[in-house]
Amino acid sequence: MATNLDQLSAADIAAGVHAGKFSATDVAVAALDAIKAREPKVQAFLEVVESLALDAAGKTDARRSHGEELGPLAGVPIAVKDNMHLIGTHTTCASHMLEGYKSVFTATCVQRLLDAGATPIGKTNMDEFAFGSSTETSYFHPTANPWDTARVPGGSSGGSAAAVAAGEVPLALGSDTGGSIRQPASFCGVVGLKPTYGAVSRYGVVAFGSSLDQVGPFGRSVADVALAMNALASPGRDPYDSTSQDCPVDFLEHLEDPIAGKKVGIVPELLEVEGLTPECRLAIDEARAALEKQGAEIVEVDLPNISSAVAAYYVIGPCEAFSNLARFDGVRYGYQEKGCATLAEQTSKSRAHGFGAEAKRRQMLGAYLLSSGVYDKYYYPAQQVRTLITRDYKHAYEKCDVILLPASPRTAFKFGEISDPTQMYASDMFTISNNIVGNGGISVPVGLGKDSNLPVSVQLQGPAFKDRVLLQFARAVERGCGRPGTVAPGFSGKGGDLS
Amino acid sequence: MADMTTTPRLTRDEVAQIADYARIALTDDELDEMTNYMNEAVALLKPIREYDLEGVEPTFHPIGDLSNVMREDIVDTDQRALDIDTALSNASTPRKRYFRVPSILGNEGGDF
Repeated sequence: MATNLDQLSAADIAAGVHAGKFSATDVAVAALDAIKAREPKVQAFLEVVESLALDAAGKTDARRSHGEELGPLAGVPIAVKDNMHLIGTHTTCASHMLEGYKSVFTATCVQRLLDAGATPIGKTNMDEFAFGSSTETSYFHPTANPWDTARVPGGSSGGSAAAVAAGEVPLALGSDTGGSIRQPASFCGVVGLKPTYGAVSRYGVVAFGSSLDQVGPFGRSVADVALAMNALASPGRDPYDSTSQDCPVDFLEHLEDPIAGKKVGIVPELLEVEGLTPECRLAIDEARAALEKQGAEIVEVDLPNISSAVAAYYVIGPCEAFSNLARFDGVRYGYQEKGCATLAEQTSKSRAHGFGAEAKRRQMLGAYLLSSGVYDKYYYPAQQVRTLITRDYKHAYEKCDVILLPASPRTAFKFGEISDPTQMYASDMFTISNNIVGNGGISVPVGLGKDSNLPVSVQLQGPAFKDRVLLQFARAVERGCGRPGTVAPGFSGKGGDLS
Repeated sequence: MADMTTTPRLTRDEVAQIADYARIALTDDELDEMTNYMNEAVALLKPIREYDLEGVEPTFHPIGDLSNVMREDIVDTDQRALDIDTALSNASTPRKRYFRVPSILGNEGGDF
């Protein structure tokens, strides 16, 4: 009987290609077949690059037939969020502003996966310029949640999370500025890691909030996410990103190590906040029980300023976004309004007609907050509050190794259910603080919610550059209550048989 | 006593000025919506105004000890750089080896 590609982990695929059980081309063909069968209902991709995929897979197969060494991701199909450059693809950030833009170089994060032998399959849908938590702000089309196609996949990296959950690819890249990997991972029932700021290069990733953005992987198991991290971070710092740091760690080496005797922090007030649904609250109890059963000690920790993290973020994020998106003036690239008499008119109209509503809102907010007289009231104090939140975490990690908290206050919502932009901002209430301080965080599925019957996850956060430890605890949660490898039932087995 | 943490509501005219500064030509309808949004969003930021932050240093970046790196202004062919054709390949209206823009001073439209 043929094996369906969606039943294999990234590690299984690489091992199969190494052993000659199947070729990288067989895998690429199966992935493209699965995408053909599943895309009409999920619409996770903005672009599928068949020839690029077959070309890369063919090169991997040629290497093997020449007896050359294969990388740890040999033949593994990957999807890339559409804010990351890859030569041979368009990079649109799901915006009319960049419709038709052709990548002129390849982002380091993407290149490192390719260097490890991965096969690029396509670019995934997202909220426009990563502004959103549902992927509904994409200029092109919505993406459905594979667990219930009437619901959103979360965002902003919704396409990447959905592509992995629907079994179209085993691994995908996302970016996380306030929760954009961890929240869609929780909505789609997959593992999503936001590494520590600096662990993965941002070179070639379209900037949103430069002090907040971080690239990370989605997978259907913690082990696959660790495997991707080895390719993304372990080669060392990227000279093309001045904030990139050396991270000489093997993320797989201690993945199965016991957690007995280690300490897991719980923040009791966070579990009482308004808006946290009972099933997401219950997920914490389940994960806590699983960790305790494996010998971890639960300790209460205090993060007194975390309730101000959303406010600090909606100062810092929009200000950095306004600065970064000023480059879109319609001259060097991007949408250009024709027939304008002056440069100022051309810029204003190109930006007005090129950007969608939420992209305009964030930039307007940033422009206001950075203006003279307002800067001192919001921008500077928000960066001082950032210091307080950073101190809170430092103190907390003196008492524990990781902190267990919800990934999202609720499970996936329906299209159009949250139409008020400021209400949407609450989606990231549990993830945002980690971007403010730059630490790593991971979303791990713990099963289906008793009320919604939709995927529910928990989040683990850890100190800076302890992402390996984070993965070890995530594996412990997965061991206790996860179902690694699960593909959304409506999509499993549809197309994608490995011949 | 007035609440010191409250910021006066932004008026439609003020929002229009911000849009001008941000170089985003908003329509009249958009201006109305944007004014509502801006006031709602600024209200969300209130916790920041409620702190006594005397003596607290700001953290502008998670990696604190960054500084600008300067180099000589010379072409280093060892470094990655785009050739001119590639750099111009995504521009709407390039001409020869240049990006082209309408009049900056606004007294003539040229052929735009």
